[in-house]
Amino acid sequence: MKAVAAAIAAILLLSLSALAFGRSPVELLNILVTGSVGSRFAIEGTLLKSVPLLLTGLSVALAFRAGVWNIGGEGQFIVGAIVAIVASRYGVIASLAAAMLAGAVWASIATAMRLWRNAPEVLTTILLNFTAIHLLGWCVNGPLQERGAQYPQTDVAAVALPQAGDVHAGILIAVAASVAAWFLLYRTAEGLRLRATGFNARAAKWAGIDVDRQLVRAMAISGALAGLAGGIELLGVTHRLFERFAAGYGYSGIAVALLAQLHPLATIASAIFFGALATGAGELQRTADISSNVAIFGQAVVILVLILFGSWRARD
Amino acid sequence: MIDVILHALPIAIVASTPLLLAVEGELVVQRSGIINLGIEGMMLTAAMTAVLAQQATKSVLAGFAGGVLGALFVAAIFGLFAIRYRADQIVTGTAINLLALGLTGFVYKAAGGLIFSASPVREVAQYAVVLFAWIAVPIALALLLWMTRFGLRLRASGENPDAVRHAQRYRWSALAIEALLIGMGGAYLSLALSSGFAENMTAGRGFIALSIVIFGRWKVRGAIVGTALFGVAAALQYTLQAMNIGLPFHLLLAVPYVVTLLILCGIAGRVRAPEALGRRD
Repeated sequence: MKAVAAAIAAILLLSLSALAFGRSPVELLNILVTGSVGSRFAIEGTLLKSVPLLLTGLSVALAFRAGVWNIGGEGQFIVGAIVAIVASRYGVIASLAAAMLAGAVWASIATAMRLWRNAPEVLTTILLNFTAIHLLGWCVNGPLQERGAQYPQTDVAAVALPQAGDVHAGILIAVAASVAAWFLLYRTAEGLRLRATGFNARAAKWAGIDVDRQLVRAMAISGALAGLAGGIELLGVTHRLFERFAAGYGYSGIAVALLAQLHPLATIASAIFFGALATGAGELQRTADISSNVAIFGQAVVILVLILFGSWRARD
Repeated sequence: MIDVILHALPIAIVASTPLLLAVEGELVVQRSGIINLGIEGMMLTAAMTAVLAQQATKSVLAGFAGGVLGALFVAAIFGLFAIRYRADQIVTGTAINLLALGLTGFVYKAAGGLIFSASPVREVAQYAVVLFAWIAVPIALALLLWMTRFGLRLRASGENPDAVRHAQRYRWSALAIEALLIGMGGAYLSLALSSGFAENMTAGRGFIALSIVIFGRWKVRGAIVGTALFGVAAALQYTLQAMNIGLPFHLLLAVPYVVTLLILCGIAGRVRAPEALGRRD
């Protein structure tokens, strides 16, 4: 309930910020709403944006639940998409499986550094994001550049996800993933171990849980989800890779997960909210010439308001 | 090889001056028990406010003051949540980074994507900042943190806040010192190293600074050695580019981050962080 209040408070704050630019808050709010849910086209746009947000949000929720600071969703998203386009000639399933594997491997670099060299994953995952961004830059300017080499982008992927209207089948995968994540966390022994580790690692250790192994698994699952998000975005929406492919979905996942109080099923609602915010912000940029950065600003405000409301406590 | 390094050294020192200021600031704040992951957003905001202030006044000094004010503003928000409300510091820091990215992007767009500095910073002023960062600040910090009662209490707040009366005040002071240094770093970045503000221009310097603080084991000397090491390794990318040895340009861009990852892996063994670092008490 507090989460809903936080979301509403954030939207109100956001519209009030229009005053700073000499605009009417009501007008701003109006564009935000009609631009995100006001028409069939807008709703489809919102749903499309919700899919990657749901998966990166789940990725963060799982990691934070297990007490692992995976801030590397952005990098795992990118690496997942790079591998997905390479594997796309073997079909959709192979391509998405490869994306998950790639995301898991990329995240596991951070785990390895943590276990072997005691390097904090909160930093290594962020640094791996920057590394992945430049890796993508190299790919689209080098080995994976389109035939003809005219623009810094790849050719269109060999396969695509089935579509109905603008909405692609990735939405079903994403919803299935959140149900699966809920089942894993709350209905299996593995989920109990993950949550116990996140709740109190020392106590978990005393209870006989191999904390290091939980860290490895949480990070791998989290990375796989972010990688899957990248693969789905590629095969469902962009169909090719370019330098600014990731568009912040990895970082946005943090806001999505926090608003959902790290609960996999609540993440669905949270992802749709932020998907609507991003779509509405795009409309603001088109019609009112206000930067779509408003969406990023909105994510920050939501997190801060949640802290103010005291509704989010670390890993409980 | 020695040649190459000697060639890279001056570039390294100048180019990593903003980074060093950030490292020094984060060192102080972490010694007081706070992890400020929002350092990236703080620096980004400072880079923008510095240019805006310099544009408005045509004065470099005012530009630096503007940078410091911007950083102080961000520090106040961070402190309110992380110190006053004892919120999780990693989550707060992440929110601060998003906030700064959104706000600066907002203003950048409103300004039509053109935020150039009014005039280049004279060389004398540039070198003054370099000397300040590499010599004056380290000496001042070493004295302040280890030779004064204030410093002792600040460090004690990072080890065992219950043993210090008003530990939160020392944390606020540490945060203010950090904002001062990072404000200057951000201003140096946009006014001296570039000719204005560009979106997300800090490009991860804040996170690199955090890594170097850990690598330097929360010591001033370690901070300088770590930054110099990073600076030389990162400057090698320009040398390698000039030598044209066939490494693709885009992969060279990843060099600073890979170097930082390696630096973080160089902290093997027992690293003793301030005892209360990141705790929410």
